[in-house]
Amino acid sequence: MRYAFLFEQMVRRELRQKYKGSVLGVLWYLVNPVVLMGAYALVFSVLWRIVDIPDYPLFLIVGLIVWVFFAQALLAAAPSLVLSAPLVRKVRFPREAIPASVATVQLITFAVMLAILVPVALAVRGSLDPALLLLPVIVTLLFGLVLGLSLVVSALHAHYRDVEPVLGAALLPWFFLTPIFFRVDDLPGVADHRLIGDALEWANPIAPFIQALRDVLYTGAAPSLGVLAYLLGVAVLALGVGALVFRRLERDLAVIL
Amino acid sequence: MAPGEIVLERASRAFALAHERNRTLKEAFARPFVRHRGGRSVVHALDKVDLRVAPGEALGVVGRNGAGKSSTLRCLAGIVPLDSGRAECGGRVVSLLELGAGFGPEFSGRENIYLNGALHGFGRDEIEARIDAIVDFSELGEFIDVPVKTYSDGMYLRLGFSIVAHLDADVMLIDEILAVGDESFQSKCLERIADQMERGATLVLVSHDPRAIERVCRRVAVLDAGRVAFDGPVAEGLPFYHRLLADEAAADRPVRAGETALG
Repeated sequence: MRYAFLFEQMVRRELRQKYKGSVLGVLWYLVNPVVLMGAYALVFSVLWRIVDIPDYPLFLIVGLIVWVFFAQALLAAAPSLVLSAPLVRKVRFPREAIPASVATVQLITFAVMLAILVPVALAVRGSLDPALLLLPVIVTLLFGLVLGLSLVVSALHAHYRDVEPVLGAALLPWFFLTPIFFRVDDLPGVADHRLIGDALEWANPIAPFIQALRDVLYTGAAPSLGVLAYLLGVAVLALGVGALVFRRLERDLAVIL
Repeated sequence: MAPGEIVLERASRAFALAHERNRTLKEAFARPFVRHRGGRSVVHALDKVDLRVAPGEALGVVGRNGAGKSSTLRCLAGIVPLDSGRAECGGRVVSLLELGAGFGPEFSGRENIYLNGALHGFGRDEIEARIDAIVDFSELGEFIDVPVKTYSDGMYLRLGFSIVAHLDADVMLIDEILAVGDESFQSKCLERIADQMERGATLVLVSHDPRAIERVCRRVAVLDAGRVAFDGPVAEGLPFYHRLLADEAAADRPVRAGETALG
């Protein structure tokens, strides 16, 4: 691919801008989810005692790192084209490289966090499961979802400049509706409102990814076929929609930026 | 299309001067049916432009500010799409449209050579093979390893032009930036352009400096309000352009008592 080197250059540029050249910089990003994990574990498990989940911190951290990857990638991708306006307006190159490189940098951060988490999870559970082999598959599909959505928000934001703040505002309630610090089946209200329970598990594209990662890391079992099929479908759909929307909206980018 | 061939066929592009646009989602939803037709001015930057350049030819493009020269280059470079018609270049296209085009300000000149090469579709090995020649030509010395945000305009030109002139392009699109360099570097640039042309590269050079055009091009196109007003030998084209400027200056001047429009 002719622009492979360009992509590499852009990822390095992003990495350098984010971490200012320090290797420890990536590890810094672990601090955020670990602190969140500590806070939620303290409140929900120790003090309030409303969750009765064994190894709660492990349960939490798995969901948290997926969410952090998703949310940070979208928030960084949205303004990415606008921030690269001088480049886009003056040189011709495949512009999808910009949101793609942003999403890739977030993927690298996510992969590092996973690399640290996997041995911890294995130690906590005390067993090595073949389900671990599915990890790269789940991560790849998650990246597909994130990449597709990154393409959409970056192109949209170039046209409508309040996409980024709207996204930021939407991510907060979205976070609370995602089963990160709770299990849907544990919620007392779900027994009476089964439909809402299903919506929480399936209508939110991030939820099955967290479920799948929990199955592998926290439970040590392979995700169900239904979940895997959903992951594949959502990833393909997101990439398809992302490519379409980006192609449509990027025509006059050099003019509107 | 043959490498180095350039075709503009009934190329048209208009820009709406955006007085009011739905710039936020909120506005788009709140006022979906308001059309801003009345009072919106449209600029026809390119108006059915027809030009063909054969491989290895050098075309100069002149015109007043706003005539459509930069828009033509941007459409040829593929940065701005046309509304209708064709604007295509065959082979590898390298463009230098503005000082500091495609540079990351925090990065050094050397790093920007890699970035710029990558933007034009070159791989690491191809750039490595050329990097010494590029650094030498720029005469930037130790400044090549300093962040480019500290560069002067002249230094930007040196770096930008060096890169463009060493990428062995089939088509070179260069906008009016040479004037920023000092005499000796300008000379060096024009010589280098001539070398590339001997290699078979095609050049489209936009400039306000008739001497630069005369030195490198045998053919010139004069653009006026998005249209090709003249397309032919430089010896006739430049005087035509000067007459065009003089006529317009005369027309703009208010007629004083005792004076007629003819003198």
